[in-house]
Amino acid sequence: MPKHTWKWTVAGIALTAVLAGTAPAMAEDLEDQMVIATTGGLMGNSLQKYFYDPFTKAKDVEVVPVAIEVPDQWARSEAMMRTGNIEFDIVTSTGPDLVARTNMLEKIDCSKLPNVLKYGVSDACTEYGVARTTGGMLINYNTDVFKDKAPKNWADFWNVKDFPGPRGLPDTGDRDWWVPVAALLADGVAPDKLFPLDLDRAYKKLDEIRPYVGVWWKTGDQVQQIMRNKEVVMTMSYSGRALAVIKEGVHAGMSWDGAIRDTGYMSILKGAPDKNAALAYLDFFYANSDAHIPFMRDVNYATGSKTVIDLLPPEERNLYATSPENYAKLVKPDFAWIGAHREELRQRWTAWLNR
Amino acid sequence: MTSGIRSQFWHSDGRRLSGLSTLLLLLPFFAIIAFVFVYPIGQLLWISFTEPKPTLDNYARVVTNPVYARVLLRTLWTAVLVTGLCVILGFPVAYYMSRARAAVAAFVGVCVILPLWSSVLVRTAAWSFLLQRQGLVNSGLMATGITSEPLKLLYTQSAVVVAMAHVLLPFMILPIFGALRSIPDDYMRAAAVLGAPRFRTFLEVILPLSLPGIASGSLLVFLTALGFFITPALLGSPQELMIATLVSQQIREVLDWPFASALVGVLTLFVTLLALIFSKTLRFDRLMGAQ
Repeated sequence: MPKHTWKWTVAGIALTAVLAGTAPAMAEDLEDQMVIATTGGLMGNSLQKYFYDPFTKAKDVEVVPVAIEVPDQWARSEAMMRTGNIEFDIVTSTGPDLVARTNMLEKIDCSKLPNVLKYGVSDACTEYGVARTTGGMLINYNTDVFKDKAPKNWADFWNVKDFPGPRGLPDTGDRDWWVPVAALLADGVAPDKLFPLDLDRAYKKLDEIRPYVGVWWKTGDQVQQIMRNKEVVMTMSYSGRALAVIKEGVHAGMSWDGAIRDTGYMSILKGAPDKNAALAYLDFFYANSDAHIPFMRDVNYATGSKTVIDLLPPEERNLYATSPENYAKLVKPDFAWIGAHREELRQRWTAWLNR
Repeated sequence: MTSGIRSQFWHSDGRRLSGLSTLLLLLPFFAIIAFVFVYPIGQLLWISFTEPKPTLDNYARVVTNPVYARVLLRTLWTAVLVTGLCVILGFPVAYYMSRARAAVAAFVGVCVILPLWSSVLVRTAAWSFLLQRQGLVNSGLMATGITSEPLKLLYTQSAVVVAMAHVLLPFMILPIFGALRSIPDDYMRAAAVLGAPRFRTFLEVILPLSLPGIASGSLLVFLTALGFFITPALLGSPQELMIATLVSQQIREVLDWPFASALVGVLTLFVTLLALIFSKTLRFDRLMGAQ
């Protein structure tokens, strides 16, 4: 009986989780409390419910959450480094941060995180960060405007003849490579041939779409807002935000073809005062695996757990970036290349935009 | 109070303050300014000259990269437009207030000042609701048949200028009102007696005498507009970046604090220079009401 199998799997995972949680893997003394900086609102509240509180119960470590936007978090961290007074233990980083901001992060010894290795996908633990949530930068479009024919990929996004109307593109910290990547895909570059990015070609293609960009959005809240109030007919969006818009009842769809993989990592800030507790939390995040499904349903992003995605019914599975079908369509960015060319990418972007 | 104590605080004429009381009165102000303004700005500027090594490279980048020069020019131009719009919108209001009956003038005055009590963020957000594609302005234009499809109003330079003018308007109206109010009625009467028509009285008596008010209002609005952050960030487009937004980008995203500091240094230099030019040509002491 499939239904029974399902239950047993969950029970099994829960049991191992409990066992793993009590195992003396983290025998070192843990600090009394630690500080986690990440975005507030839905993400912060859900982490509190599914991970911070259970962690406090299991390990007797109080978690102090700091609600902060990621760019502000880096600015604050930079200020902490300058004054030598480090207040954050765990910070939120993106793929390029793991390459470009290594001077601000502690190295993570993955061998000390057995549960991440056991329950996480193969690249869940990296040298400077443990994967928390994975989404994709995809196309979120208005289904009232595009009733019969939906924009499927970046070529359609660029095709203003068949899909007329104002577009939205990001003006956030990572737009200087997200947007050129989308442009190259629209211009017909194969996803596995993207890196190193041909910036001349990308910006030539970007010139085409520029007059049709109605909004350069700056935050996740704003990208939801421009879909809600129909400021744009389609936009590049975080998959979690697009899903939130759809769940709200806005007539909108998601196109995963060519979506850019966007993983949020948990990293330990260099000089973090509660390093042991921070490491214990990273391991606990995966040990506490029965929390992953309700957590995913709340925040609209998949975690890096390799087992839970299979537990979801197929139609729900495809709302997340890590479903086998969607994951195959994702563009996997070359963070090493992006990290090494960050300055050039930024300058090119600012110069193009402010021509 | 004996005359001995009094003489320590006042000059013998009893009007002007002695050096000691001047010091005592201004000390708290200067202490606060030194602590919350001069010290942090000084530290920021220090970074711009010393990191990564003692250097002028950070300033060289501001000057040599055409993007940054363009951002700086655009910021200045926006501040000019905002100031101009404030004069055009503010002068009639101030003039009306100065001519109206006391009760009416007080009512208009409250209307001018009241918005200052609500946050800039709220006033800016209100503009984004008015100007969006499905907003009031666009639906009004389409309902009256002036346009057939929504215009792009939000996220443009014009939106920034209009909203900034709205936010800064009180700082223009109040100094002009002050200047107009201090013109004695006798002057107008004298002009009328000498046979000047009303318009000429306005042009040759009222307008010149209100110039100090226009000038100090313009100075306030212009300098505030140069460093404005919230309104351009919310209503503007990254295609029309202004300097405060650029500084914030360098601080928050790029974490290039030395370069951000250099940008702040250039802006501070501009503001200081402009304030000096203003005070030289317009006689600051007269703007401040001294005779």
